[in-house]
Amino acid sequence: MSTRRSSRGSRLSEVVQLEEREEAKENTTPTKRRGRPRKTIGGSIPEEEDDQQPTDASPPKRVKVSSRKKKVVEEEEQDNAEPVSVTAIGSLPERERETENLAKYIEDILAENGSGSLYISGPPGTGKTATLTKIISDRKLATKLKMVYVNCTSMSSAGSIYKKICEELSLSVAGTSEKFYLMAIEEYLKRKHKTVMLVLDEIDQLASSKQTILYNIFEWPAKRESRLILVGIANALDLTDRLLSRLQARCELKPHLIQFLPYTKQQLVAILKNNMVQNDTTEMFNDAALQLLAAKVASTSGDARRALFLARRLVENASKEDRETKKANAKLQDKPLSSPPKKPVQIGLVVNTLKQVYGTTQTMADDEAFPLQQKLLLCSLLLVLKAGKSKDITVGRLHQVYRAVCAKRNLQVVDQTEFLNMCSLVETRGILRLQGKKEARLMRVQLQWDEDEVHNTLNDKQLIADVLADTSCAQGK
Amino acid sequence: NVEAVGTPKRNIQLSNIVEEFAEGRRTSKVMHETPKKATVEEPKTPKSARGRPRKSTSTVVEEYKSTPKSATKLKLIRSGAIKPNVQARDAPVQISPDDQLAVARERLHVSAVPKSLPCREKEYSEIYNFLEGKIIDSCGGCMYVSGVPGTGKTATTTAVIRSLQVLAQEEEIPTFEFVEINGMRLTEPRQAYVHIYRQLTGKTLAWEQAYNLLDKRFTTKAPRRVTTVLLVDELDILCNRRQDVVYNLLNWPTVPSAQLVVITIANTMDLPERLLMGKISSRLGLTRLTFQPYNFRQLQEIVMARLTGTSAFDAEAVQLVARKVAAVSGDARRALDICRRATELAEEQSRKVDKFVSVSMGHVQKALGEMIASAKVQTIKCCSRMEQLFLQAVTAEVARTGIEECSFLGVYSQFEALAAFAGVTVPNPGRAIAICSRLGASRLLICENSRNDIYQKILLNISSDDVHYALQASSLI
Repeated sequence: MSTRRSSRGSRLSEVVQLEEREEAKENTTPTKRRGRPRKTIGGSIPEEEDDQQPTDASPPKRVKVSSRKKKVVEEEEQDNAEPVSVTAIGSLPERERETENLAKYIEDILAENGSGSLYISGPPGTGKTATLTKIISDRKLATKLKMVYVNCTSMSSAGSIYKKICEELSLSVAGTSEKFYLMAIEEYLKRKHKTVMLVLDEIDQLASSKQTILYNIFEWPAKRESRLILVGIANALDLTDRLLSRLQARCELKPHLIQFLPYTKQQLVAILKNNMVQNDTTEMFNDAALQLLAAKVASTSGDARRALFLARRLVENASKEDRETKKANAKLQDKPLSSPPKKPVQIGLVVNTLKQVYGTTQTMADDEAFPLQQKLLLCSLLLVLKAGKSKDITVGRLHQVYRAVCAKRNLQVVDQTEFLNMCSLVETRGILRLQGKKEARLMRVQLQWDEDEVHNTLNDKQLIADVLADTSCAQGK
Repeated sequence: NVEAVGTPKRNIQLSNIVEEFAEGRRTSKVMHETPKKATVEEPKTPKSARGRPRKSTSTVVEEYKSTPKSATKLKLIRSGAIKPNVQARDAPVQISPDDQLAVARERLHVSAVPKSLPCREKEYSEIYNFLEGKIIDSCGGCMYVSGVPGTGKTATTTAVIRSLQVLAQEEEIPTFEFVEINGMRLTEPRQAYVHIYRQLTGKTLAWEQAYNLLDKRFTTKAPRRVTTVLLVDELDILCNRRQDVVYNLLNWPTVPSAQLVVITIANTMDLPERLLMGKISSRLGLTRLTFQPYNFRQLQEIVMARLTGTSAFDAEAVQLVARKVAAVSGDARRALDICRRATELAEEQSRKVDKFVSVSMGHVQKALGEMIASAKVQTIKCCSRMEQLFLQAVTAEVARTGIEECSFLGVYSQFEALAAFAGVTVPNPGRAIAICSRLGASRLLICENSRNDIYQKILLNISSDDVHYALQASSLI
């Protein structure tokens, strides 16, 4: 019985899909139109009214739009309050070219009154969202375009994107299912309207098994009379090739690609300098320290967020020292704490902080931080890897070797359950990886770190050398 | 005709028939199923019965006590008008201050967090400086705190926040709001929004609404906003496949108007690199702090700090506990638990001899034996003679073949030989399989389903040394 029901269900879903497809076809043919009859091309004024009326109906949306417009102003105000801010995106140095490119692309589309799709990719922290927010908040463009910004991580599921877009466009929808929202959007696109700029941030969240949603969205610009500029933002360079390979088949559907490259050292220096000039805190950093910081960040990730985080942390460290000295001075002299002489961040401090952040995962402050039994566990693992025949190490086997090692040294042995617990404690440090089978004894143990790194962390040369010399223990006898 | 009757009924009967034969029982279960209809008739009553205990757990405002309508009450609970409370007990027993052991036991309880945390001064000052800086500058930020369980991560963080709250009350620093969520207490990652919103406003909403309101709160500018400190415990539980919750929690601090400071706590040190997406670990930033396991001196200090003023413990006893725990895990909770158990043992003895006995090495040794003892050796010792013989046969088979996994056939032939050697009659294979499955149920062996009879595979779940050791003690060998 259940099979029959499920088959019926699948048939139903097929029907739904068919309907969707038919609708899609229907929309491409401009014969049927449910909306109000089109007016002449010159009639842009009544259209704006059409846009305005629903906004009046839903006041919260209007608040949102206005807040977005204010954002830049607000950010600038914020900047003055804090020394170096991660969020300072008032102006975007080193992204002028991309901004110009984007603006030109949009202008072109606006000039020919057409539509287009755009995909922006780049590693995290390269200013993709910042650039887009800047363009969105541009007053000049805002008069010509209707901006819709949606961050796709806020969706409950990929399908609810339509609902969100409807809310942003303040459309009235006939029903509550996904299909109705989609219909409403497509109808809106068919009707006369201002050109819509739809920005979908973190678009990779919309990926589903058949990619129907992504395909639907990317097909909107290709429809006639849909004046839509679609902008997708994500990290992956080849998202459109990987997930949306069918778009390659039709040239008009192919999204225009813009790539944001990781920042180079000079660019990072320029960003940091610009940030400090804005906040009048240029004296906080000397040039060498800035160069070092930028070089390090550029060599590892080229992520401006990281550079700003690091700069902020340096300033915090420096101001902490400042505060402490101030407190000490105040106690000694009873002077008011005004206008402290700000020392610039020294290069030594930069080196220290970088070492903390980019150094080995763990720098042991004292030798005793690593429990003895865990040391023995790691030593036994090294021994098995060095002297054992098979590299397939289970917890049971490792326990056997560990027992032999302990017996040689007259140390107390922990039993298997405790041993497993210890393995998972070492795993939290990232040195090991336990790969799960159901049975604890059959779990596989894999060393994740380089052996030299383990040696450094254990910081106990004598013990390691001693255990590793004992190849007879490797068989667990 | 089948469909006309109604499918569920037929389904039930079918499954019942199958069940009956599977269990080999003839008593028809249909008889039990048929009165189901009668119970279906009254769905209201169980609901109200279920609602009743909830009534007793919440204080009802006087006028609602008379007519407890469940719907209005639920509404009141959701809006935060009634607070949950538990039934109060009679006056608790007063502990006489002379009873040293009872005082010590109370102080050694894990839940009794002391006013100052010994041995975590460095970490305390790091978190303090970070939070104080962020609150004074009124900007957002993130911090990642990691370390193995029982190293005082949450205790330190909450202690910092408590002292900052005191400072804020004395108006030395700006006031701030404090919100705390724990990944383990959420049924689903998205419930985090509900919990955050409830702590901010006291209302319980569905997660989507809560998310929208939180998003509005953090992204729009409010001139009188105070800083919000959000403590996220057990971060790794909040990571699902899409990672949208973690993304949002870490994205809000980067919004300039949010003034949100997020402190995340987890066990794994390389969680941002291992589990989180690139864009999220970029937002998490590089402010990280690792709590190392306690070494034995620190554990000793922690226990002694709790015991100041009582003479219940010998100093060597504490040292023994500290050394034993520090060698294995460095977990403070464990040390405290062992100490508590030792006081209980001492109390028992003092009751017997009817005079005060301080906790000595002997008690600690006994408590350690109980808590770190290998239960498996005990189990083997208490097995029946034939089960012990069977275990011996398995070890003999493993030694013979050299492979860990052995088949029942091989084990049985070893079993026969051993039984002949010991001069006992061999149980037939059917009984031997029963023995095998008993040992499998106590997890001494890992064996397959017994439907494979003599071809089932058997694995030893303990090391063979343990078997020898236990059997020697029971004088079988």
